[in-house]
Amino acid sequence: MNESDSILIIDDEVQIRRLLEISLTSNGYKTFFASDGKEGLTSAATHHPSLIILDLGLPDIDGLDLLVKLREWYTKPIIILTVRNSEDDIIHALDQGANDYLTKPFRSGELLARVRTAIRLNTAKTDNPVLEFGSLSIDLVSHVVRRNDEIIKLTATEFSLLSLLAKNQGRVLTHQFLLKEIWGYSYLEQTQYLRVFIAQLRKKIEENPSKPELLITESGIGYRFGF
Amino acid sequence: MKYLKREEKIPYPIITSSINQYLIVVIVIALTALFCRPLSTQQGYYIVSFILLFVVSVMAVFLGIGPILIASTLSSLVWNFLFIPPHYKFHIERTEDKLMFVSFFFIALINGVLTNRIRRQEALALEREERTNAIFELTRELSNASGINEILDVAFRDVKKYFDAASICILKEKDNSVEILARKGNGKDLSRIDFKVAEWVFRNSMRAGRFADFYNDASLTYYPMTGKRISPGVLAIEFEKPLSAEDEVFWIGYLTQISNAMEREMLSELALKARLLDESDKLYKTLFTMISHEFRIPIATIMGASDTLLISNTSEYNRTELFNEIFKASARLNHLVENLLNMSRLESGKISVHPDWCDVNDLLNKVARVLKNELERFNLKSSIPAEMPFVKLDFGLMEQVIYNLFLNACQYTATGSDINFEAYYHEGYIVIIVADNGPGFPPAMLDKVFNKFFRVDSQKTGGLGLGLSIVKGLVEAHKGRVIVENQKEGGARFTISIPTEIPDMNKISLEK
Repeated sequence: MNESDSILIIDDEVQIRRLLEISLTSNGYKTFFASDGKEGLTSAATHHPSLIILDLGLPDIDGLDLLVKLREWYTKPIIILTVRNSEDDIIHALDQGANDYLTKPFRSGELLARVRTAIRLNTAKTDNPVLEFGSLSIDLVSHVVRRNDEIIKLTATEFSLLSLLAKNQGRVLTHQFLLKEIWGYSYLEQTQYLRVFIAQLRKKIEENPSKPELLITESGIGYRFGF
Repeated sequence: MKYLKREEKIPYPIITSSINQYLIVVIVIALTALFCRPLSTQQGYYIVSFILLFVVSVMAVFLGIGPILIASTLSSLVWNFLFIPPHYKFHIERTEDKLMFVSFFFIALINGVLTNRIRRQEALALEREERTNAIFELTRELSNASGINEILDVAFRDVKKYFDAASICILKEKDNSVEILARKGNGKDLSRIDFKVAEWVFRNSMRAGRFADFYNDASLTYYPMTGKRISPGVLAIEFEKPLSAEDEVFWIGYLTQISNAMEREMLSELALKARLLDESDKLYKTLFTMISHEFRIPIATIMGASDTLLISNTSEYNRTELFNEIFKASARLNHLVENLLNMSRLESGKISVHPDWCDVNDLLNKVARVLKNELERFNLKSSIPAEMPFVKLDFGLMEQVIYNLFLNACQYTATGSDINFEAYYHEGYIVIIVADNGPGFPPAMLDKVFNKFFRVDSQKTGGLGLGLSIVKGLVEAHKGRVIVENQKEGGARFTISIPTEIPDMNKISLEK
């Protein structure tokens, strides 16, 4: 973790801001706060934070609109905070460039893990052609996947799906995004393809396919490579 | 209208006899006279009188009283003029012929009038009987009808049958004015309803509108519907012609029956409303008692634990314990709020189902993952066929369903019990079964399991009793069904079946 990593929190709830401040500063992050959308935009422009935590329910502006405005120039990670049962908003936010989401109430451990992942993904050097996850390794150049040095045979599509998820390790990718990237625009509604290939991949790469640890389902939203 | 239509055939008031009947009389008598001319030269003119009398009698059966009077007069004159000597003169020479002529006239007259009257009375009796039957039939049908629309269906069908009414509309009082409750017939009549007249009729309990004494420039006739305890409203009807006095009596009898049925319906509606109000009042009280009770315990825990942490020097071990208690209490509060929110979303119909292809294995794994800590103490077994197809469900909502069923099993069965999850596809339905080998439900309470705020043991604190009603609500939002039963071998068993399609796997190109 970089000492200088700073985080801007845009949330109108004082208690949530206090809580985030304590969890984040005690883990070495620098924090800034904004209690509404307008202040958030100004603060983001002034401080250039390494990451923004954005609550979708703001008093002055729709959080999704603010997200779009921020994304016009802000390229670093944005994590959104929402209430439960708002899959549509989450999917929309992820499609609009949010990197991750958390539903309130959340556990601080979860929040810190997401923050770390988002910052790491943003700064990680992607020149290493071999991704390693414990006993599993994915060679992006030679398209070879190994577990415990044993080669796992994957089809071309299976490999594309796995490497796409693995490259974004820890980040949730929406159904639509995955379908578009792997199969193309005409397959946006064909979620059964995704289901088939995820099920096949789990059988091949998970230690226990019925208790997946790598390919995690995000209910109604998408999948996350969860190592 | 049916009765008026018959009046044309069976005229009782003289004025209703048409000009045609007089023509018929003249023609029939002329023809008879022509036919009798050759006969009278052979058989004598007395025989002609019998034939003429017979003809008049026969005509009396079919024709009105006016034509019959003319027929009697005309036939006696014709007999005199053409047959009694001297011919072609009204003069009668012989005294017995004079007597004969007078008696012929009276016999023809009396015979005709009497025949006509008997027939008329018979027709009246028949008509009365038919009307009594009609009223009886209406009463029977109305008492079988349930709901205002059904009553109106019956009323309109019968009104159309007996009175030639094109449309009928029932209006009901609302906020010092009248509004349309239901209507039958052609739609354009809606614009013709004069609410001012209807209101006047409702207030004054007098008929008004077309053919009535008041507001007779209106296009419909408005009748007040009066009941014993409440006034159901106003009935507007479109008659082609004014009703005869007898039809009016018949119609009023009819209207009374319809009014009574409407009153009955409205009273039972009022009673139902009162009962619902009473029930919702009771529900409110239960809700408030339960919420305050259920919320107080975790809140007390959080307040007490944090207060202790703030003011006293506790050992590191105790501090951790207190933090744990705070965490557990807030998780419990969170669960309560989630359930209340879900319930209110379900009740207000704000939950929208987005079915998408689902891998049931994935669904089970997801819930098992979320409930990892709770399920640790139990023995979760699953049975999903290897060739289980994908099914169309809303993953997020079904996750809550399975979550609630598992949590329910965890809360009400002893540690170490079995929780069985089974899923299969059968003829257009995805069937999901969650069963445990715990104590099951008391048989008498099985049908209340899905009720809001139902808990088997109300003493035991364990939530608001919303979990299972949320399960039912969410399954029904999927157009599915959930049933609960106690298994023979013990334990509760929930069976969910939801209609679903399955993908055509042949269309998915799987490269090898």
